[in-house]
Amino acid sequence: MVTIYSTPTCPYCEMAKKYFKENNIQYQNFDVSVNENAAREMLEKTHQMGVPVIDIDGAIIIGFNKPEIEKALGL
Amino acid sequence: MLYDLIIIGGGPAGIAAGIYASRKKINSLIISKDFGGQAVVSSKIENIIGFKEISGMEMAEVFESHLRAQDNIDIKSGILISSIKENAGGFEIETSNGEKTQSKYILIALGSGYKKLNVPGEKEFEGKGVFYCPICDAPLMKNKPVAVIGGGNSGLGAVRDLLPYASEIFLLECSDELKGDQILQDQIKKEEKVKITANAKVKEIFGDAFVKGLKYEDLNSGEEKILNLAGIFIEIGYQPNTVLVKDLVKLNEKGEIIINHQTMQTSKKGIWAAGDITDNLYNQINIAIGDGIKAVLNIYETLKKENQ
Repeated sequence: MVTIYSTPTCPYCEMAKKYFKENNIQYQNFDVSVNENAAREMLEKTHQMGVPVIDIDGAIIIGFNKPEIEKALGL
Repeated sequence: MLYDLIIIGGGPAGIAAGIYASRKKINSLIISKDFGGQAVVSSKIENIIGFKEISGMEMAEVFESHLRAQDNIDIKSGILISSIKENAGGFEIETSNGEKTQSKYILIALGSGYKKLNVPGEKEFEGKGVFYCPICDAPLMKNKPVAVIGGGNSGLGAVRDLLPYASEIFLLECSDELKGDQILQDQIKKEEKVKITANAKVKEIFGDAFVKGLKYEDLNSGEEKILNLAGIFIEIGYQPNTVLVKDLVKLNEKGEIIINHQTMQTSKKGIWAAGDITDNLYNQINIAIGDGIKAVLNIYETLKKENQ
């Protein structure tokens, strides 16, 4: 299960989503600028507010860090 | 695989160099973390020649697709470099996945990254109210008071990105006046929720689990003042990303790579550099593009002479 916590204006969030689409990886997107529950969840998982936050089966990655994402996906 | 040229970096300088290297049919590879460079986080760029107005992200896409349309260059993206070493045939580049690639020549176009304030609390609260990417994190500051540190173009841009969200924006500049383009200054000075303070030197960032505010010294009066804030956006400029090459090439006192401005060659034979990582006077996308091209043309000439 891949979840991304993002804001609509954040370029690194867009890069991450583009990467998931290109690699046919299903993900759910939470816009933390409007979704307060998701924003709280993101804070609980990372204790910080910077976006994007990507949760890949419980592996939490802050920022669009492609090597880390690939490792978590087992690619 | 042995290349004649490896270009390191996918910002404007690296991409322009890649396009020219391909067209000159230099046996080349470009390695980058991502494409677009530091300007991807700009919400609006209005001075790239040929584009009246474009976002940093759109610029990155246009540049990347131009690079990917080239036939004669290998492209590796999403990759971090762990070391660059000199060897008998030229240079060996090791990437974070453990791969090693050899090249006769290299062109360093790694650009620059955010400069830190270096005050107590900055590191502790990074991501917890201290931010370096306003366009990313401004939407989290809805109806909250924030400060932007730095009155250059980046700082003024950050104020503009925060206007739709924050309740109050304190713009602090440590010198006696704002430095950014007059046109941007005029735009933000009109805004009621923006409060500009010059001669303000940030001393400390404080909070509990998250940022609660900052302490600054009013350099006119010597008085210490406190602002209660939910977010602090630090925009005090950039420092060159030279960690990988600092032992290979000569740097100036600002940590920038010293180059010959005609050829873009560094102090080390076989290494060229272009863009914001160098000691060029003006850091601009248009200039980085030109400098990347100059470097490749000089590399092309050097290769040709060797093969004669």
